Amino acid sequence: MSETLHYDILIIGSGPAGQKAAIQGAKAGKRVAVIERDLEVGGACVHHGTIPSKTLRESALNMLRLKRTAGVFDFKLRDDLKVKSLTQRLDHVVKAHSRFIADQIHRNGVTRYHGRGRFLSDREVQVSMTNRTIQRLTADIIVVATGSRPRKPDNIPVDHEHILDSDSILSLTYLPKSLTVLGGGVIASEYASFFSLLGVQVTMIDQADRPVRFMDAELTDGFVQAFEADGGTYHGNQTIAEAKWDGLSKVVTVLGNGEVIEGEKMLMALGRVANIEDLHLEAAGVKPTPRGLIPVDQHCRTSVPHIYAVGDVIGPPSLASCSMEQGRRAVCHALGIDPGGSPETVPMGIYTVPEMSSVGISEEEAVTRFGGAIVGRSRFNEIARGQISGMTDGLLKMVADPCGKKLLGVHIVGEGATELVHIGQMGLLAQMEIDSFVENIFNFPTLGEAYRVAALDIVKQRKP
Amino acid sequence: MSPLLASSVDLEPVEQVRSLLVDRIEKGELRLPLLPQVAHQVMTLTNDPDSDVTRLASLIQQDQALAGQILSVANSPAYMPRSPIVSLQQAVAWLGMKHLADMALMVSIQSGVFRVQGFEAEVKALWRHALATGLFGKEIARLGRHNVENAFLCGLLHAVGKPVILHNVIEIQKLQDLHLPWNSIRDFMEEFHVSVGNLLTENWKLPDQVKEAITYYKDHTYKHAPSPTKVALITCLADHLASYLLEPTLMDEETLLALPVIQDMNLYSEDVSSLLEQGEPILKTLDSMPL
Ligand SMILES: Cc1cc2nc3c(=O)[nH]c(=O)nc-3n(C[C@H](O)[C@H](O)[C@H](O)COP(=O)(O)OP(=O)(O)OC[C@H]3O[C@@H](n4cnc5c(N)ncnc54)[C@H](O)[C@@H]3O)c2cc1C
Repeated sequence: MSETLHYDILIIGSGPAGQKAAIQGAKAGKRVAVIERDLEVGGACVHHGTIPSKTLRESALNMLRLKRTAGVFDFKLRDDLKVKSLTQRLDHVVKAHSRFIADQIHRNGVTRYHGRGRFLSDREVQVSMTNRTIQRLTADIIVVATGSRPRKPDNIPVDHEHILDSDSILSLTYLPKSLTVLGGGVIASEYASFFSLLGVQVTMIDQADRPVRFMDAELTDGFVQAFEADGGTYHGNQTIAEAKWDGLSKVVTVLGNGEVIEGEKMLMALGRVANIEDLHLEAAGVKPTPRGLIPVDQHCRTSVPHIYAVGDVIGPPSLASCSMEQGRRAVCHALGIDPGGSPETVPMGIYTVPEMSSVGISEEEAVTRFGGAIVGRSRFNEIARGQISGMTDGLLKMVADPCGKKLLGVHIVGEGATELVHIGQMGLLAQMEIDSFVENIFNFPTLGEAYRVAALDIVKQRKP
Repeated sequence: MSPLLASSVDLEPVEQVRSLLVDRIEKGELRLPLLPQVAHQVMTLTNDPDSDVTRLASLIQQDQALAGQILSVANSPAYMPRSPIVSLQQAVAWLGMKHLADMALMVSIQSGVFRVQGFEAEVKALWRHALATGLFGKEIARLGRHNVENAFLCGLLHAVGKPVILHNVIEIQKLQDLHLPWNSIRDFMEEFHVSVGNLLTENWKLPDQVKEAITYYKDHTYKHAPSPTKVALITCLADHLASYLLEPTLMDEETLLALPVIQDMNLYSEDVSSLLEQGEPILKTLDSMPL
């Protein structure tokens, strides 16, 4: 074992949260080290999460466009070509992104240790490497950013062969004829819609009456309609009595009501669990919550003042965008640096096909908080750009206060929703009035025009 | 010095067999008959309408000769799959057991029977090693959440050239009335199995990843594998683990743990231990093979 080394800041995990924490520390002139157990840096975000799933989505959409063209030019896309081009592009994008992050860490003078980090005390961490050597590190500030992994329920045998999770689904070498998706959250809905787009018969099963429940019901209804129009099925309000491979050719799911659903493969997407078991948190004096998360205060500080936890390991919203911000803010707080105003309006982006995105508060929340709300709607089929691009099944909802003056929230379903929402986000940050959306001119024809139409709808409903 | 020169036998018969073998390889005469026991089981299971289809399915998935040739038939124009069949599991799911049973019967009739003749133990070892590599491949893939079906097929077929060479050498020996020691035959298998395996993948139209695993599964080549699938890396480790399990005198645990492929797969000592724990269930599966 080599001698113990000391750093100002030690970060465990190199996903978006750890990465931004490290860069912030280095920019403040501190000696920073990152411990990462994987060969490459970047975390679940780069290797199994955001980047690969969005690349897959983009490829699926490209294929959809090609499929549409195929009708015109009379050609057929073979399934094996689909899979091959999907995986090759995936590999290319993931590698490029991982390299970019590695360069960034290196450029900022952050030292990287390849190994599993484990607390020996509140100030000391042991790094165990694959070649069975050990390095001990001490630090004044420690940031835990170890992320999460797919949950494996006890009653469903995820074998990565017939029953896959959101990691193993990325290495499929052929498109199954049918896929049962367990879960109705973000990951389940995203993958369900990608595979449906690729021609797979997809059945989603979930306990909730509709998928992605935390989003506006009109948005999720729009998603379910599009998904079902494409051949998919959503089974809501269901429990799973049993799910297993039949030993021959299919995965059989028995629902609580006795109904049997068969699929060639199954995707298990029933949530994620925080990566804490290797950490030996008790040695640091940090006690996880009963749900296995690390509890923190508003500055992402744990019960031990110089130990912070950021990203998926502290629980929802479990988004790369928020994880990065938590990482940056935690280090700013530890170093006494002003992190800037706190982001009140974090947008949510769900990359289903079609996309769903929200910022600000919902209609129900507005009613609770302000005693009422006026909602303006704009359907993409009423917008010239929607008609031109064939994106006619979108909807943009603006939520205003009961007087119809103040913008409180924006909710969008439709292609481009995750980009379009940023106009609403800026409007909220600038505390813009609904009238500003009516009085100002947007490029024509664009989907941005939907804001104007929705704002006009609110104006129409104002009480004289 | 070439391995052939290193063997202690008279050079002549070795060179004679070698040149006849090379001749056969160049002419593409690369048949891989079924083992007599396997052919017999195929007959029994396909003739009995009451037999359990899962038994035939697992026989197809566990026997390298049957598996390779079934994939070849499944991808032939006669069956015209919607897209290529790249795994045995996919073949079962997409074509159904009725078609697979017909294919198995056809393969067992057309490929003939492997005349083992005095090499029973060696043939058994080759078949056991192939299946053990496939099964370890599965476990390695499972651990890393990679494609399990892919890893299995690549492991099962990574050295499919070896039994082809053995079969040909046995035939040549018989025709020429020669008898080479096992060492020389083993050297032939080492020398030619990758090129023979590659020719087989062409002839049988096996999936690209199988070709990649055959070509690059060795310690000094896996880094050159072109695709992002990691099949060569996984097969390399699976091959070592299979050897460690089946011929424990060849390598101790320390040597195994120090293999570069362990680092390149990013396996920690607990990961390797969990893989080694799979040895026992894998041995059980091997013992259930009709060998
Ligand atoms: C399929 C999918 C799609 C997603 N899509 C989106 C999206 O569109 N937009 C979005 O904002 N978010 C998305 N997310 C969520 C996003 O990926 C996560 O919120 C984000 O990766 C969390 O970042 P993190 O840094 O907390 O953890 P991670 O990215 O999980 O990184 C944690 C790192 O810590 C390492 N580690 C763990 N334990 C140890 C240890 N003991 N020692 C050393 N290293 C350790 C891990 O190897 C890993 O590299 C998606 C997630 C998934 C799974």
